[in-house]
Amino acid sequence: MSQRVFITGYGIITSLGKNAAENLQSLIDRKAGYGALNVLDTVHRATLRACEVKIIDQQLFEALNIRTDTGFTRTTLLGLTALQEAISMAGLTPEEVRSSGLLSATTNGGIREFEKYYYELMDPAQRGDFVRFTDTANPGEHCERLADFVGIKKYIGTISTACSSSANTLMQGAQLIRHKKLDRVICGGAESLSKFTINGFNSLMILDTEHCRPFDSTRKGLNLGEGAAYIVLESAEEVERSGRKPIAELKGYGNANDAFHQTASSPDGKGAFIAMEQALAMANVRPNEVDYINAHGTATENNDLSEGLGIQRLFGNRVPDFSSTKSYTGHTLAAAGSVEAIYCVMAIQQQMVWPNLNFENQMPELSITPVRQLKRSASLTNVLSNSFGFGGNTSSLLLASV
Amino acid sequence: MKGQPVYYINGIGILSPQKTFDNDAFLTELSSYHENVLTCVTPEFKNYINPIQLRRLNRMLRIGLTAATICLRDAKVQTPEGIITGTGYGFLDETAKFLRELLQQQEKQLTPTYFMQSTYNALSGLIALSVKCMGYNNAYVSRGLAFENVLDDAMLRLIENPDANYLIGAFDEAAEVQYSASIRETYFKAEHIHNLDLFNTTTKGSIQGEGAAFFMLSGKPSDTTWCVLHDMQFIYNPADAEEVKNGVAAFLQKNSLSIQDIDLWVDGASGDIVRDSVIKELAQTTFKGIFHTRFKHLCGESCTASSFALWLGASIIRHQHVPDPLKLYPEKNPAQLKTVLIVNQYMNKNFSFFLLRQK
Repeated sequence: MSQRVFITGYGIITSLGKNAAENLQSLIDRKAGYGALNVLDTVHRATLRACEVKIIDQQLFEALNIRTDTGFTRTTLLGLTALQEAISMAGLTPEEVRSSGLLSATTNGGIREFEKYYYELMDPAQRGDFVRFTDTANPGEHCERLADFVGIKKYIGTISTACSSSANTLMQGAQLIRHKKLDRVICGGAESLSKFTINGFNSLMILDTEHCRPFDSTRKGLNLGEGAAYIVLESAEEVERSGRKPIAELKGYGNANDAFHQTASSPDGKGAFIAMEQALAMANVRPNEVDYINAHGTATENNDLSEGLGIQRLFGNRVPDFSSTKSYTGHTLAAAGSVEAIYCVMAIQQQMVWPNLNFENQMPELSITPVRQLKRSASLTNVLSNSFGFGGNTSSLLLASV
Repeated sequence: MKGQPVYYINGIGILSPQKTFDNDAFLTELSSYHENVLTCVTPEFKNYINPIQLRRLNRMLRIGLTAATICLRDAKVQTPEGIITGTGYGFLDETAKFLRELLQQQEKQLTPTYFMQSTYNALSGLIALSVKCMGYNNAYVSRGLAFENVLDDAMLRLIENPDANYLIGAFDEAAEVQYSASIRETYFKAEHIHNLDLFNTTTKGSIQGEGAAFFMLSGKPSDTTWCVLHDMQFIYNPADAEEVKNGVAAFLQKNSLSIQDIDLWVDGASGDIVRDSVIKELAQTTFKGIFHTRFKHLCGESCTASSFALWLGASIIRHQHVPDPLKLYPEKNPAQLKTVLIVNQYMNKNFSFFLLRQK
């Protein structure tokens, strides 16, 4: 008999705030993190805006009480901020931390520092402070840093499936628990903005120069964001043993591949449909029992159409409330899956549905409309969180109240 | 061992610095290198990838897709149930191409090709696209444990559905960028050596390798089965050699084996005088007297070199033969080659054990 998987803590830092409480308040207050780019040094500051965490590295080091010469990248610093909050919310003892697994996601790890010192690093004759960033082009580097700093020993892994990455850490964390390989896994992702990312997405011409408008017919693309979010997953046995109070249950998950195009979703949303259908089937939840969908909703033309059609196909004429909180946080890439899973848990805890900001014009191809105003006293039992990415990856998580 | 799930390797495709793409020839000819960078011996890509697709792919994607295609053909599987890849540095040279362009052009007039093909899941997505696999797809990038994470993922999924076929693999390129950035920190040797002399050196650093290896893993045997993957486990960041020794002992005990049951052990020494310390201690204690071989002089060091070792172990079991250049104790050929234990290490921080048995 496989184990049930519960959430006993989480931690988050995004452009909405540096902890869970600040994120929640911003969601309630309709306060998006969108604004001028002024922490990252890029020529696009003049023309592009983003959802940046307005805390410079120095302050992150200080808040974490870490020396600035340790070679921690911004991705690692954001990650640590969220990871420590998650550990503290769950109330894990040092021994429990040690025996935990850590699955972390990132799309480019410490590329922000690697690009900054690129010419120095590429010249083996040079010496200097930059050598502490030697291995920051390795995406697994941040995860080892995180594990070593908080003292996680038992199991580690890093996942990178583009924009669905941290949803997949939650999925694999749950797999490790269900099959009794681990009692407790901390899952999530960390991502900092970099020239590499901004220019990459800019070259693909899918960045909106204005505030993004998910599911709106005038949408022009996404806003990039940064942040980190981690969730403590524990087995039913471990919850009982420790006496910790579960916050929610990770009841089902699905992962599929659109197998349509390297960087685009299929026009009919087949991959999205399969992932959501699998998550529901695993949780033994019928479509009409889903109360809210936190959509991937990047606000690119391609994603929102594909995802919208996938949702319509699965839910027919009884589509539940749905919204994209990327209108608040921008697209935090590998962190998006865990950021949004936490927003789903918060929705269940608060019994609220988060609005989809900036929606005004109905998409003619869709018959469904996202939730536009904050919904209080909603009745949320089962919530779905979608995360899709380049390479055709589609992942969906079913979170339930306990 | 009753009740423990069993995993079968039903197909392999591997490109490496040795001529390994032909599954019928088992290291019959060796490639030697006088530089510290070992690069893949590749077949004609057009025999495996259609020409239109081929033109659009970078070198690592070509190597990876070819290895995956060889594996699919070897296993006689058209579309697997899922695809999972692991890599340490992914497409780092591609990443660097985009990076250099953006630095040189002050972030202006960039084309997205390098960016698109540098995504870590580009290969798992490409294979899915090529074989129309809409099933499970995941990509691990966990430095020296990426391939080990892949195996854990597939093995858990096969418990749920033993009949399924998972195409799992690993890839890493000998990226110039990684070499330049890390030679200062002696990840690689300062002096040029001959690869086959790797284990006679007494300096810090290893030689840089690369490769792509794919395996068809299933809970059911087939007429193409190479061997059984009995178990796999890793240790992250052990405090000392004692912890790894205890780890090996616990791993064997969990699988109801004693050290004497191991016909051959394959170690992941990298030729680094400092970073091989734990492996050397294992050789002198735990594995003393056990028939022994190494492999990183053939494939070089990379985050996912353990995938080469898995192919090597599976090949030895399949061919019941240890090629001469691999023998560390040639005078002591074992009576049988039924049980093989691989102990890999990466940077003396990521350790993993793979237990292989004859079907």
